[in-house]
Amino acid sequence: MSKPSDLVQGTLDLLLLKILALQPLNGFAISLRLKQVSGDVLQVSDGSLYPALHKLEQEGWISAEWKTTENNRRAKYYSLTRPGRKHLDKEADNWGRLAAAISHVVKLKEI
Amino acid sequence: MRLQRWIYKLPLRIRSLFDRQKVDEELDEELRDHIELKTQEHIASGMVSQEARRAALLEIGGLEKRKEECRDARQITWLQDLLQDIHYGLRILRKSPGFTSIAILTLALGIGANTAIFSVVQGVLLAPLAYSQPDRLVLVWQYNLTLKHPISVSYPDFLDWEREARSFQQMAAYDSQDRNLTAPGTPEHLNGEEISSGFLSTLGIKPILGREFSPEEDRQGGAPVVLISDRLWRSRFAGRIEALGKSVTVDGVDYTISGVLPADFRLLGDDADVYTPIGQGDPLIYGDRTIHPVLCVARLKPGVSIAQSDAEMSAIQEHQDQLYPSADRGLGASVKPLKHEFVADVSGTLLLLLGAVGIVLLIACANVANLLLARSAARTREFAIRSALGASGARIVRQLLAESVLLSLAGGTLGLLLAKWGVRPVLAALPGSLPRSENIGVNLSVLSFALLASVAVGILFGLAPALQSSQTDLQASLKAGGRGATSPHHRTQSSLVIVQVALTLVLLVGAGLLFRTIRRLWEVNPGFDAGHLIAFNVGLSPSANKTVAGMRVAYQQLIERIRNIPGVKAAELTILFPLSEHQNIGPFWVGSQEPPSSALAPRALYYWTGPDYLRTMEIPLLQGRYFTAADTASSQPVVLIDTALAQAYFPDKDPVGQAMTIPHWGPVRIIGVVGHVRHWGLDERDAYTQNQIYASLNQLQGDWAPLFYRRLTVVVSTPLDAAAVMPAIKAAVYGASGDQTIYGVQVIQQSLAQSLSSQRFPMILLGVFAGLALLLASIGIYGVISYSVIQRVHEIGIRMALGAERRDVFRMVIGQGLRLALAGVAIGAATAFILARLLSSFSHLLYGVGAGDPATFLAVSAVLTGVAILACYIPARRAMKVDPMVALRYE
Repeated sequence: MSKPSDLVQGTLDLLLLKILALQPLNGFAISLRLKQVSGDVLQVSDGSLYPALHKLEQEGWISAEWKTTENNRRAKYYSLTRPGRKHLDKEADNWGRLAAAISHVVKLKEI
Repeated sequence: MRLQRWIYKLPLRIRSLFDRQKVDEELDEELRDHIELKTQEHIASGMVSQEARRAALLEIGGLEKRKEECRDARQITWLQDLLQDIHYGLRILRKSPGFTSIAILTLALGIGANTAIFSVVQGVLLAPLAYSQPDRLVLVWQYNLTLKHPISVSYPDFLDWEREARSFQQMAAYDSQDRNLTAPGTPEHLNGEEISSGFLSTLGIKPILGREFSPEEDRQGGAPVVLISDRLWRSRFAGRIEALGKSVTVDGVDYTISGVLPADFRLLGDDADVYTPIGQGDPLIYGDRTIHPVLCVARLKPGVSIAQSDAEMSAIQEHQDQLYPSADRGLGASVKPLKHEFVADVSGTLLLLLGAVGIVLLIACANVANLLLARSAARTREFAIRSALGASGARIVRQLLAESVLLSLAGGTLGLLLAKWGVRPVLAALPGSLPRSENIGVNLSVLSFALLASVAVGILFGLAPALQSSQTDLQASLKAGGRGATSPHHRTQSSLVIVQVALTLVLLVGAGLLFRTIRRLWEVNPGFDAGHLIAFNVGLSPSANKTVAGMRVAYQQLIERIRNIPGVKAAELTILFPLSEHQNIGPFWVGSQEPPSSALAPRALYYWTGPDYLRTMEIPLLQGRYFTAADTASSQPVVLIDTALAQAYFPDKDPVGQAMTIPHWGPVRIIGVVGHVRHWGLDERDAYTQNQIYASLNQLQGDWAPLFYRRLTVVVSTPLDAAAVMPAIKAAVYGASGDQTIYGVQVIQQSLAQSLSSQRFPMILLGVFAGLALLLASIGIYGVISYSVIQRVHEIGIRMALGAERRDVFRMVIGQGLRLALAGVAIGAATAFILARLLSSFSHLLYGVGAGDPATFLAVSAVLTGVAILACYIPARRAMKVDPMVALRYE
């Protein structure tokens, strides 16, 4: 599988930002949360997770830090940056409007 | 917000770039951890550890691929890849020092030679002149419409131009003079210039002290003021400000110093020390509209083009023609860029040399390309493996190009150093001198050229081998175990060798043609006895300089003393002598029928000489008689003419006894015809006129006499070496009154050689380039044939086993080389022929030799073929010595 399509990538990015908005997490924890949130709907494999995380880090939406976990292991923790939070708010807004528009159109059609 | 993001982005990128290993390790650790945890999870939900691990790995997909994707997400892969390529390339090159050093040396030679020639082209042709906004400066010439040649300007016409012209911001006039400084300090001969009042401001130069001339000073009767050079200021006035207002005595006149010129100021290439107002010049010369001593420089108004100014000046001159028909009818005007005056003579030659040295570089590149091809054949296994690991063809090509560019940059750096150190010594050793040579050096443009050339060259010779390597059949090369396809490489290598041979032939033909030209020129009879002549100028003492009679006596005594020197065969005075780069041209007409305008009259070179000049110079008398003591100021004015004039104007009758008229003198009688002298140079290039007239100084009288007597040259004929006889001559000059000076000493034989320098300069360089090319091409042939022999060892073994003699194998290899060489010679000869014809049509380098001279072509082709056979000799012997048993077993 090569790079995911733009739409899926965009959704994945937002989801990751949303997840990290609540608290900083490491990669494994994010994958667990991701499974919970999207579940079977998005079918995001572990494989596309890390490239997406690295891309978000590269773009400056999230930043990473190596910390020691409870089990005395080293793990890379990702957290949302200030610009990242602003981006998330803006994008979430857009999504909301888009979703509303789509459902609106769908509703209209049905009636 | 974009700025804020960069606070996070930047440190990341820097880290990825410079701390790659750490970043990679972290990525590794991160993914490993994830797999660990996932495995634990699976184990927790009941899987066996093996299975759990497998499941975790499957979920993440190909681990290496994911890592690569994460790296890609970091978005600076191209830069990282480049650094990686460079790093890898350096390692590879270090591993084969032999190849690397040969390649770098070859490239250094090629790029270095090119950089050197480019630095000359840049300094002489491309760099702007050292005046303010130099591209707006032009020279305005008058133009003889009959002879179709630009001529210098008459002063009255210049004044009219200045008044009428609208295209120029400012116009100025100048003329050079020989000056003798007698005070303060020791008498010294100086170069002087006469300049108009607007001269310095036209060029945009300001004096470092004082001011330039005012219009009131720039006319007859104006205050005698002078501008001096920085050199004179420092040597005679110790560089002190008090020099302003002090006086210098030049040619018997006291001038007041009104300004000092900057140290680096050069009037169009000449170094002059005293500048006087041209308006105060001798009215005999500057008041006469038919005499053209002046050069006119002007600055175009903003927005006016040269073509527009040329049109305006032609129109103004046409008006002058109507106002002053007896002087100006038949004259036009012509405007040329100032720089053209400096460099037009050499620009063709320099560009030719640039082309030639570029050819040498191409040949060098072909050699390096062949080397690379041979090496890449050994590396196909490496490429196959990289390909299998996921490197795209483009990636491999990029990496190989990086190697090539590294090689060429290394070669280019070495070459740049060679150029920097070598250019000046080599130029000094070559005959002749270039204008504006002070500008030549390694500056920013030259550096950029070297850099660009290196990169371009690296891509050029690296591309073909890189493309070939990336296309190798994976399967075949992996199976074959390392020795790659020979077929495609061999074809490319052969073509490269053929191209090398062809290009070498072109250069050899060029050098050969020039060589024959020079030999032809040496055989030309200059028309006089050049081998035994010395010429020099004398500055008479001020007491003698006051009257014509005084000068005559002083010179007469000097000539007598010189004639008495043992070893001196003859000596005489003259105002002009051949190959001196001076001229003294004037109109004449046959009989007494004056042409309607001075400009329409035919032109001749006027040699005003003492009575023994023709004998001293050994110019043969063909008809009539030489001057005698009987030809004095009171007897009938007589002249001798040369064969050119005789043939042109007296084709059917005997010229002796005929009448001619010489303006400013009157009717004269022809008393003899002498041989033609090659005044302008052995090839008579740029000959304005071929006609030559000899008149006797003894018959000169009136206002013109002082003018002529001030500019005399002494010619001495002696079979002795110049060094042997000069001390005695100097003693004769100084001995008279202690304040006579001698200057401008020339040994005519050397002037002759100098006059050939415009051909010798390119010939020597072209010869060197051709030699280099020959060396490189023969190395190239040797390399390719050697390589081919190694590849064909198996085949040779079979041939021998089947009955071929060693001799046959030898012949086979030589034949292979010969075929390549002959193909190259054929192509090269055709190209050389076309190029030579093109060149000879717009340059005057060739003389007495046609562009398609068969002797040159044959000789050069023979040499090249011979060298090629020689280059094949060693590989052929090696092939001959192959043991068939060993060869057959050799896989």
